[in-house]
Amino acid sequence: MTARETEWISIPMTVDVPYRFAAGRYLTKTLTQLRDNGRIFAVECPRCRRIQLPPRIVCAQCHVRNGRWVELPLEGTLVAFTIMFLPLTDPTTGKPHEPPFVYGSVRLDGCDSVLDHLIHAEPDRGKVWVGMRCRVVLRPPGERVGDLSDIVHFEPLPDQSRPGS
Amino acid sequence: MNERVAIVGVAQSRFAPRRPEVNYAELAYEVISRVLEETGLSLPGDIDNAVSCSHDIWDGQTISDIGITDVIGGHLRTEEKMAMDGSTAVFYGAAGILSGEYSCTLLLAHTKMSQTNRNIVNNVAFDPIYTRMLGFDYTSAAALQARRYLYKYGLKREDFARVVVKNLRNALLNPCAWNGREVTVSEVLSSPPVAPPIHRLDMAPDTDGAVAMILASEERARAITDRPVWILGMGTSYDAHYLGDRDLADVKALREAAARAYAMAGIRNPRRDVDLVEVGEEFSYQELLWIEGLGLCGRGEAARLTASGATAVGGSIPVNPSGGLLSGVPINVAGLNRVAEAVIQLRGEAGERQVKGAQVAVAQGHSGFCGQHQCVVVLGT
Repeated sequence: MTARETEWISIPMTVDVPYRFAAGRYLTKTLTQLRDNGRIFAVECPRCRRIQLPPRIVCAQCHVRNGRWVELPLEGTLVAFTIMFLPLTDPTTGKPHEPPFVYGSVRLDGCDSVLDHLIHAEPDRGKVWVGMRCRVVLRPPGERVGDLSDIVHFEPLPDQSRPGS
Repeated sequence: MNERVAIVGVAQSRFAPRRPEVNYAELAYEVISRVLEETGLSLPGDIDNAVSCSHDIWDGQTISDIGITDVIGGHLRTEEKMAMDGSTAVFYGAAGILSGEYSCTLLLAHTKMSQTNRNIVNNVAFDPIYTRMLGFDYTSAAALQARRYLYKYGLKREDFARVVVKNLRNALLNPCAWNGREVTVSEVLSSPPVAPPIHRLDMAPDTDGAVAMILASEERARAITDRPVWILGMGTSYDAHYLGDRDLADVKALREAAARAYAMAGIRNPRRDVDLVEVGEEFSYQELLWIEGLGLCGRGEAARLTASGATAVGGSIPVNPSGGLLSGVPINVAGLNRVAEAVIQLRGEAGERQVKGAQVAVAQGHSGFCGQHQCVVVLGT
């Protein structure tokens, strides 16, 4: 018997499924307020009073319908972050974010949930820290489209330094 | 271990071609809040398990239940998703109660067909190395099945068209259905060809919607309602995935699933013992094929049974008095809707479409192309 090369066939394929996702009643209110007025609205659970962002119909903990709308300030505190070295793609544009960049979770003042977004800070462990104060940077009025990209990123508030540095 | 499982509540959303005003959670909450209100139960205390039905590829997110975990009461508690037809959610939910582990289970099925493209989504159901490259979808596969069925039993398109005429007329009397209307056999025959023998009116339309249901052990059921509907039997079965391994005019998986369900329910002669049937006809021909698979008539005889009027609401064995899937029920939700409609009939709450004296009903659901996976649920008062 003669040895011979084994060939393995594999077929390249792109599974390309188009979607259009309904935001629903709650997120539509928040996204239109963000687009039209540059304001951020969350909902409050009538029982446990947790203020939830993004807003949703039911409080998961109490299983009651969320009711009262609460406007949040555009400033908050960083509760977690990472410096990304992967060129992750924005699926609405198909374009990658240029690494390295910073992802962070910011708790807007008064809110119980945190908002994940890009942090406009140097990708340097000395320049980003848990507890850093941040503010929302919005696209200019007239250029907003009614999705999460109306928030460009969070930027650190000036005149603060990493504790212990 | 629990001996019996009852359905104690059902709620169905409005089915419509587009529901742009609601996201998945809000659609789910429409039916969950109503079924809780109807039964007087509340989350989380009264419900100890939840089973949902939806599909990642339809919803456009992996683990497609993440959109509804909060509203179904799954937060920091148990919730299981099954990505089959909604009828299979009844199977799983009931199995959990029969095991003795759970006593009251909330079921939910949701799909918004309007948010994507059925042909592309269905194409992904085919094997990536062979059939998928042809561009196959459920409609093209169904057309092969329909042709094979026509050929094998010498049927005509008119035989399929009579199913459309009956079901769309039934749908006129169903407040959940949106596609109810009077059509004639000749209108069905002359509707635009899609994949002959399937024409436009032979196909279930795309819709958005949700159904919720509550299952309970016998003890819990008696405390919740004085009109429980009992699950008398249930069975599931898979046929081959590859179409080329099946005789598409045969219904082996359905016959197997039905045999299991009938054996559990003690039904020897379904034609005599069953009062009404709800089947999942994504295409008109499927109603004929499925009622043969359910043993309600001999092979190739369903067309004659339908032409005789026996499957009409006032007939001897009404099939799809709800209007069926042709009336506009989303895929995946379809089977839970079949069971829900059977429950509404057995509780005598079907209004103008009520089948008089209904005591035993059969609901059938299927997933995969050409009815690959079959689920049969036998229900009784």
